[in-house]
Amino acid sequence: MSGPLDFKLYVITGENYHPGRSMMEVMAAALRGGADIVQLRDKESPKRELIEKAKRLKELTAKYGVPLIVNDHPDVALAADADGVHLGQDDLPIEAARELLGPRRIIGISTHRIEQARAAERAGADYIGVGPVYPTGTKPGRQAVTTAYVAQAAAEIRIPFVAIGGITEANAEEVLRAGARRLCAVSAIVGHADPESVCRNLLEKINAWSLGEQAAVPASLPISVAQTLPERRDVREIALTVNGRSERTQAATLLELAAQYKLEGRSVVADLDGAVVPRQLWGETPLQGGCSVEFVHFVGGG
Amino acid sequence: MEMNTIVQDGMVIGGRKLKSRFFLGTGRFPSPAVFLRALEASGAEVITFAVRRINLDNYEDDGVLQHVADRELIYLPNTSGAGNADEAVRIARLARAAGLGDWIKVEISGNPRTLLPDPFETLKATERLANEGFTVLPYTSDDPALCRRLEDAGAAAVMPGGAPIGTGLGILNPYNLSLIAEEARVPVIVDAGLGSAGDAVQAMELGADGILANTPVSKAVDPVAMARAMRLAIEAGRLSRLAGRIPRKRYASASSEPGGRLFIPEAWEGKT
Repeated sequence: MSGPLDFKLYVITGENYHPGRSMMEVMAAALRGGADIVQLRDKESPKRELIEKAKRLKELTAKYGVPLIVNDHPDVALAADADGVHLGQDDLPIEAARELLGPRRIIGISTHRIEQARAAERAGADYIGVGPVYPTGTKPGRQAVTTAYVAQAAAEIRIPFVAIGGITEANAEEVLRAGARRLCAVSAIVGHADPESVCRNLLEKINAWSLGEQAAVPASLPISVAQTLPERRDVREIALTVNGRSERTQAATLLELAAQYKLEGRSVVADLDGAVVPRQLWGETPLQGGCSVEFVHFVGGG
Repeated sequence: MEMNTIVQDGMVIGGRKLKSRFFLGTGRFPSPAVFLRALEASGAEVITFAVRRINLDNYEDDGVLQHVADRELIYLPNTSGAGNADEAVRIARLARAAGLGDWIKVEISGNPRTLLPDPFETLKATERLANEGFTVLPYTSDDPALCRRLEDAGAAAVMPGGAPIGTGLGILNPYNLSLIAEEARVPVIVDAGLGSAGDAVQAMELGADGILANTPVSKAVDPVAMARAMRLAIEAGRLSRLAGRIPRKRYASASSEPGGRLFIPEAWEGKT
């Protein structure tokens, strides 16, 4: 691994989702579409076969300069000279995997709640998976963590985190709004007839939100409308609830709404539909009609 | 025992070493200036406050936090206004998002007349918030079994009430409080219901590790003087507890030797 790991669109193999097409063919399409990290996930094949698959995939991903991660098996990753390994909560502990793989290879781990995310960060994981955000056929029976956990991870976790689980073009915006900046999909990409264009579309959404972030206001500065995103929008008015009161606003983002109530420079915390929105994300948090916003502060109390 | 070391012995909550055993509430002071002088007089290192919606029509800073911004204090926001664990967790997350630390006083009332804590919801919220990494100090009923369950759920301290909030009735069940103090493995902070410095002495003598007071200070005729009285009472009560009180006896025992006395009153005949 050269330099700190980063990526935007994480694609995982899932051969059962594309009968009739080869894994190599489907993954090549995903890479052309812009996948910038790939994981070989195969719970069926014997190890010897897995190593062969990993070697072939590694050859392909190397052409695109994209890291290859092997699910579950550090030994397979080493044998195929893959770039890293992805662990589940019940697999080898991160420390043990690190012993095997050395300091340079990537170690990622799936997490399903914030305590696991914190533990992974402490244990030296290079990235974490956050999910399943939505119910998914890849992990049947596992309870969805919802975008609430995505928001928690966004607020707290410093290493790269990738949202995963039931993510599609249709719900990607919602996940990004919750604070994710890296998405992972399995069936929505490899199960699609045109993985290349699905990847392009997902990347476009991710990039739109990531650009917004660069223009976001540092938490320490006073808020002002002038500092909201330069992006062009049609003026539209929505109905929403603010602090329990029915209101109408032309504000497109939480930041614009805060400015409307003259909360510039005040110590105010915001909550959108039950989840805390970190201040640095107000500028890129769009308001939908019917949403509920709370602006709170501290008052005297015992 | 060395006096100074006793009076200045500290306690540790959530990994923070505290020199003062006094937690001061910030509500209902006549003015921010009076609060600040009371805070000074109290020596408190931990202050509490509440989370509320801002007034959209007329938003002015509460005045408390902006005045204490330059001090080294530990902030203990409460979840007052929550009626169940879900609401308390939501308030706690909002409080943490303000970036003033991860301490939270769980306060869940099921009854607006008594404001007494709901034990079941308090336990649930304590467990969830401890799992989310908060330093949780639940305001709780003065029940030893419940306090133990709160400890097991991850409470960093337990805060049994002496009496309902703001009543000034003092320690209504000294026996329970002494049991809680005897059995607790985390600090016991008596929270709510105290009326004056005398109640603080009693709580500390019963074995409490600290006191949280708001109304008895802020609504005293002279809040600054009461803050100081409370501070001294907490020290006095702690010292008295450590010094060890004498056992209670039914009859007198003279403090001077009986030998060599000049008279034996006639009325004592047959009663010694």
